[in-house]
Order: sequence, then C-alpha cells, then structure tokens
Amino acid sequence: MSLFPTVGRKQLGVRISWWLVVAFLAFGVFMHLVPFYIMITTSIKPATEAMAMPPTLWPRQPTFAAWGLVLKLSDIAKSVLSQPLSKYFLNSMIMTFGTMILSIPVTSLAAYAVSKLIKGRAAKNLFIFFIGTLMLPGIVSLIPSFLLTRNFPFPLPVAPNIPGTDVAFPTLRIWNTYWAVIIPAGFSAGNFLLFKGYFDGIPDSIINAARVDGGSEFNIFRRIILPMSIPVYAVVAYFTFGATWDSYLWPLVVIQDSAIAPLTLAIRRISDAFGAAGTTNPLTAVGASAGISELVSQGLSWNGLMVLGLLQAIPTFIFFIIAREYLLKGVKIQGLK
Amino acid sequence: MSVGTDVIEPRPAVPAVEGGRTRRRWLNWLFVIPAILFQFFWGWYPMVIAIFLSLTNAPIRGAVTFRGIENYVRLASDPLVPMAFRVTLIYGILSIILTFIIPIITAILLMEMPPKTMRVMMILWFLPLSGIASTLFWQYLYNEKFGIFQYIATAVLGLPPQAFLSSERLVLFWLIVPGIIMYGPGLYYIAGLQGIPKSYYEAAEVEGAGFWRKIWTISLPRLRPIISMTLLFSIIGSLQEFTFPDLMTRGGPNGASRTVVMYMFTLLNNGRIGDSTALAVMLFALIMVFVLVFRLVFKSDPDV
Repeated sequence: MSLFPTVGRKQLGVRISWWLVVAFLAFGVFMHLVPFYIMITTSIKPATEAMAMPPTLWPRQPTFAAWGLVLKLSDIAKSVLSQPLSKYFLNSMIMTFGTMILSIPVTSLAAYAVSKLIKGRAAKNLFIFFIGTLMLPGIVSLIPSFLLTRNFPFPLPVAPNIPGTDVAFPTLRIWNTYWAVIIPAGFSAGNFLLFKGYFDGIPDSIINAARVDGGSEFNIFRRIILPMSIPVYAVVAYFTFGATWDSYLWPLVVIQDSAIAPLTLAIRRISDAFGAAGTTNPLTAVGASAGISELVSQGLSWNGLMVLGLLQAIPTFIFFIIAREYLLKGVKIQGLK
Repeated sequence: MSVGTDVIEPRPAVPAVEGGRTRRRWLNWLFVIPAILFQFFWGWYPMVIAIFLSLTNAPIRGAVTFRGIENYVRLASDPLVPMAFRVTLIYGILSIILTFIIPIITAILLMEMPPKTMRVMMILWFLPLSGIASTLFWQYLYNEKFGIFQYIATAVLGLPPQAFLSSERLVLFWLIVPGIIMYGPGLYYIAGLQGIPKSYYEAAEVEGAGFWRKIWTISLPRLRPIISMTLLFSIIGSLQEFTFPDLMTRGGPNGASRTVVMYMFTLLNNGRIGDSTALAVMLFALIMVFVLVFRLVFKSDPDV
C-alpha cells in the first residue's frame, strides 16, 4: 500500500482507481481458476457431453466413468498404452524424487561454499563457472548430452577405439534408464542462484560465532545454516519437483523403453492416438485404431484427457500447497550479479 | 590428536587458528567438488563439444569423421530450415511482447492490496497448473468443433467458425494467447518488491510524487536487476520453445508452428545427428546475437 496516497484516500478519483486495481486483480485470479474448474467438471462429464455444443457449465449427469476408464486404459487399449497408467506415474515419481535427492544437496552445498566459505577471486570464478550456462542457450548441448548418456565420457555416437587396438574404450551407459534423467540434472544453475541469494543474506557473524565454538564447517552447515534455510529449500524443492515432473523433451530423447517412460510421454502417446482418431469425435473415429474406437465406444473422449491432465497436475499442486508458506521467504534473488 | 584431548586441552591461540584456517580452506572444496563435476560434464563439456560434433558426420554406426561445414551446407539448402527459424523468431518475439509486461504490472499492483488479501490473491495467482496438463486443457478449448473458444467466437461474438490451431496464418498467435495472463515469473517480482523500504514511497509522496511517478522512479528501478534477469531468461527460453507447440500442434498445420528445436528433434529421430547438432549451433548463434544486443542495452546499470 504505497502507490496510492496515504492522505485523501476517500477522494472519488482515488477510490475509483483503487477499485479498478482490485477488479483487474480479481479478474486475473478468476482466469487462473477457470482451467481447474473446466478440467474438473469435464472429467466428470459423460463422453458425449464433453463434446456438447454449446458446452455445459456443470455436468448434467456427473459420473466418474472417465476416471475408471483412464485408470484401466492399458487393459482396454494395449496398442495405445503398453503399461498400466500407475506404472508411468511411478516412473515419473522415481525420476522426480531421484533428481531432487541428488540435485538439492549438490547444488546447495556448492552455493553455500561460494557464498560463505570460499573468498576472493576463486569464489568469483566459481560463480561464473556455475551460472554461466544459464546465460547461454542450453539447447545446443541437447545432442552431445544425449550421446553422453550412451557413451560417457565420449559425446559421440560410437566410442573411439583405444589407440593401436581394435577395442573400443569402455564407456558408461545410462541411456534408457532412470539415471539418464536423474544424473544430468545433478547440478542446477537456476537453483544455485536461488540458494546463493538466500545464503548471502545470512550474516557472517552467525557462522563465525559457530566457528569459535568449534565444529567442522560441515557441521556448522548442518546444525546452524540448514535449519535457518528451510524456506529456500522448500522453494527449490517445489521448483525442482515442478520442472522434473513436467520434463518432456529430455525424456523423449533419452527414454525409449515404455516400461520406464514418465507420465508426460504416456500423455503424448494418448493424445496422439486420440488426435489420430479425429480429435475424439466418435463420428470420425471410424478409421482409428481398434483400441481407440473401443475406448470411444465405452465413453471416453475429452473427459478422459482431462482426467489425464488432472493426474499430471495434482502432484505439483500438492507440492505447491506444502511450499506456499515459504514462497516469499525463500526467494531472495537479486539478479545475476 | 584424539577427539577427547581436542576438546579438553585449550590449544595455543595462534597456531590453532592458523592450522584451523588451512584445514578449513582445503575442506571447503569438498562442498563444491560434486557440483563442479556435474556442471563440467553435463553443463560446459557438451556445450563446447557441440561445435566440434556439428563439423562431423556423427553416424549412428562406424567411425566419426571430420566433414568441415558439410552439415551446414546441407541445412542451408533445406527449405524447412529457414521456415523453422521464421517460426521461432515470430514465436519468440511475439511471446515476449505479449507476455512479459503483465506479470510485472500484476506484481506491482498486488503489493497495493492489504496484506491478507494480497496473500490470498498471490496464492491463487500462482496456483500451478502443470505445463503438460495445460496443453491438454488448451487443446480442448481450441477444438474447432466443440471447444469453448469456438463457442465464444460463433455463438457469442457471431463470427464465422474460426480455424484456431489449424490456421497457418494465426496458429502462432493462438499458441501465445494462453501465456498472456497465465504464466510468468511473478514470484520473483513480488520478492523483489518486498525488499523496497516503505520509507522510499513515503518520502516520494512528501515530494509530491503520484501513482505513476512512484512506479517509474522507485518500483521499476529497484526491480531492474530482476527484470533484466527474467527478460534474459525469457529471450533464451522462448527461442528454444519445444514442449508447448509440440504437444499442441505437432508443428502443424504444414509446419506453420514447427520451431527450430522441433525440427532438431525430427532430424535426430531420423538419425541425422550431425545435421541436428549443426542446427542447434545455428540456433545458438542466433540466440547469442539477441543476448549480446540485450547486454548492450542493459549495460548501463545505475545501481552498480
């Protein structure tokens, strides 16, 4: 409450503009709630009502049929989805929590050291080394990174031979495993920036006091800094969860086996199949694959895709609810300098 | 020295501090070494190697041989490449023009609300809808036969049926519309605004500054480092767009929404690893031009 004048708030002009601001913000909030409303109501509509014109505001006959059908998708249409949906969900969970468990300690310890332990030119150079990749388009490393998952440490399609022999160098292969998603995300430059911004705000005197009392730097970090830094950990955990849970291009490149594919790739397959079936219009679905026609005849159309969307959205949503108290306290970023 | 004696016996002051410092300094690097390894092998190393890889044939089987600029020459004669660059440029520039400013305005206005209202509004405003889930939602809204947008266009506004995502001319515009109000780095702006002391505004008011003047002379300058950071990330990010157009349109109709990264993925799927990398390097160069222009414009920072 600083832009509007503190004196003369009762004046007509000030009041009108105040309410205009409120109206704008309320409209924005409303627009953010619309997707949730439409997705939830559509997911409990019967298939034909989900494609009714004009669209209905509230389902005439609410039914959870679509939820049941989506959860049994792989039984009905094996050609569309080879694994049960719960398997894809589990795969996403493994990749997401694996990334969080690896990346958050690695990134935060480095940020703490650069912020508080290492001084002078070394700290400056490390900072540039850590966040430099943020300022460059990361897409250029997509294909070398993909090749690295196949032949680590050679970013080549085929590992070279050991000079003078016909034997190829031994390489580490994480391609087409959960590790292919987890390991490359072991350090996150964006999260480094968040952590460093937060640690910079902790007074050095606290750490110096702890040093006088004795104890290793790691113990100081664990006993004193960590409890003070819960907000930034909550924010980073939420961001990391959201980003990995929704990661799409990278799994598309490194995960081939559908038994370990994340939910995002399953959604791609399903929406593809429905797209081929005339965008889920039963009348044009005649030429579609047997599995899809079967699903459509059992009552699955856009209501089912909305169920899928909700399944994808709910975990991020839960994480947001957990982290919401910390969102403002945890972000203390001051730009790239 | 055992742990027990270490605690009991007070050590001579100077050597202990000296010894402690060297011990600490060496151990400090244990904090950063894992991150250095990850950032090197999965950050810088593949980035640098991409340039070399783009100059080879990079076959799926057989030896890798150096081919000079052959990949680039082949891409130059591919009509789909300039088309993808055109789509990327339009998409990137249009999305920054249409989506960058509103989150800043929103954050500034949110700060005007009483604290409790602001908290509730902020939480509702930042309610996350998973990006993948949102593609399903927007596809539904954009459906030509029974989508809500078609309903609004025909029944409410009385227009002829719209093609939406099947329109070659407007598909990019329709792809950007969801971003106008929905997503943005608003959290960073609010965090930045919270750090501005109230006294600044009070002092400005005593000097006779009004609503706009306070925004222009206090809020925006104080947000400048954060705005310059988010703008840089938006430029880099929007020119590398893949997920949203891929899920929404698969690049259609007739490649009218096929971005460079989508074409890279197509090339990769066809086993043309060298060409795909060369295309990535071309996109890298294009984005770096934007980044350099951005740095020139934002160079004179009054705060530093």
